[in-house]
Amino acid sequence: MVRSALGPVRSRLNQGPRTGAEYIPAATVVVGSSLSLLPIISSSGWWPDCGLLMLLGWRLLRADAWPAWWAAPLGFVNDLLLGNPIGLSIALWAAMMIAMDILDRRTMWRDYWIEWGIAAVLIALSELAHWRAAAILGAEVPFAKSAGPAILIAVFSFPIAAFIASRIDRWRLGR
Amino acid sequence: MAASAGPRPGWSRRAQYSLFFSFLAVIAGLVVGLILLILSLIAPQSYATVRGAALDVTAPVSGGLRQVTTTVTGLFSGAGDYWDAANQNAQLKRDRAALMRRMVEAKAIIEENKQLKAALQLRERTREAVAAGRVVGSSFESSRRFAIISVGSSDGVATGMPVRAAEGLIGRIVDTGSVASRVLLVSDRANIVPARILRGGQPVISTGRGDGTIDVRPLEVGKNPFKPGDIIVTSGTGGLYPPLVPIAKVLRLDDDGAIAIPIADPSRVSFAIVEPPFEPDALAAATSAETP
Repeated sequence: MVRSALGPVRSRLNQGPRTGAEYIPAATVVVGSSLSLLPIISSSGWWPDCGLLMLLGWRLLRADAWPAWWAAPLGFVNDLLLGNPIGLSIALWAAMMIAMDILDRRTMWRDYWIEWGIAAVLIALSELAHWRAAAILGAEVPFAKSAGPAILIAVFSFPIAAFIASRIDRWRLGR
Repeated sequence: MAASAGPRPGWSRRAQYSLFFSFLAVIAGLVVGLILLILSLIAPQSYATVRGAALDVTAPVSGGLRQVTTTVTGLFSGAGDYWDAANQNAQLKRDRAALMRRMVEAKAIIEENKQLKAALQLRERTREAVAAGRVVGSSFESSRRFAIISVGSSDGVATGMPVRAAEGLIGRIVDTGSVASRVLLVSDRANIVPARILRGGQPVISTGRGDGTIDVRPLEVGKNPFKPGDIIVTSGTGGLYPPLVPIAKVLRLDDDGAIAIPIADPSRVSFAIVEPPFEPDALAAATSAETP
């Protein structure tokens, strides 16, 4: 009998990844998107896009959280749940995956500030795309009223998403 | 910290191929996404079915959560009502007496109005609601202002129908599922409502500003006709919205118009009432002219 079997049940040995560990990151992105189902009836749309924040949090934490192309179906789910023009998140999220792959090859080293900076740039580009899509659909609102505050709020809530992603990552890998 | 473990498949041919195909797949995803996006920007109605189906799946979830929150807030506000009940009771009695006097006056005015209308031989249309539902959610993550209501095409709701509450206008239907629909609120930038000022009846145009307020501008250029506190009501022009439904209350003036806040707050109204378009024929003519 191995020695560890005699120890307490929650030993630090013999802990592998949880079942379905490779699907957990994608599932948390869907959960983030479905936060939009909360019955919050707000007069302004400044809340962050939680699905996007989780996607960035995971992708900046690990390159192999999911195969890159999963971003497209995840974006489709996000579009459906949020009521965006269909295709907006699919295109944006797939483009983000490609951009991050390129960034991974280009950056020699990373720290938390650089990751936050990358996330901030991507969040800002995404909000700008949403803002322009709304303008094309006939809802031209001034930047300072819609996209500006939304970008600020999303950038400052990104560390929360990154923290959640790192904790879930440790849990799913059984560490 | 070193760069995160990038795609380094090593010597395995299989791993290299799977990485390459994954890369091709994400590019394909990007292209498909762009095509879908262009289609939904050019022809927003092309995804009506799939958007409706998504609404049917998601709205019951929001509805259930909404029930929970209303119950909880109801407990707190109910407890608050017991506090200071005697004073409130006296105040309510005074208000009620005052309202009774106003109501008698109003009844007399309605009677007089009826006689005048009969003299002018105006036909009074009876307005029957199509359906009444609860507001269960909103687009709090987007700069567009949408709300979700808990009635859909199985209740007779169709795209384009005006939605109102007892307090005032909420918006119009843009997507329908079979048990839920999406409402374009009057505070959305794309929702333009022909309106007039209740005091004086000057025609104005009401446009949402995307942040919960409404921009009202007079049709005729000239002196700013608004005063803070003015009530803006629908004019019925265009045939979609019924006339004389309150939209907003003027908050402050700006250079040639005014900023107003909606009278029917979607987060407070108990029921959203879906009505048929006011003049269906005029509306059909207008939409067919719009989309050739």
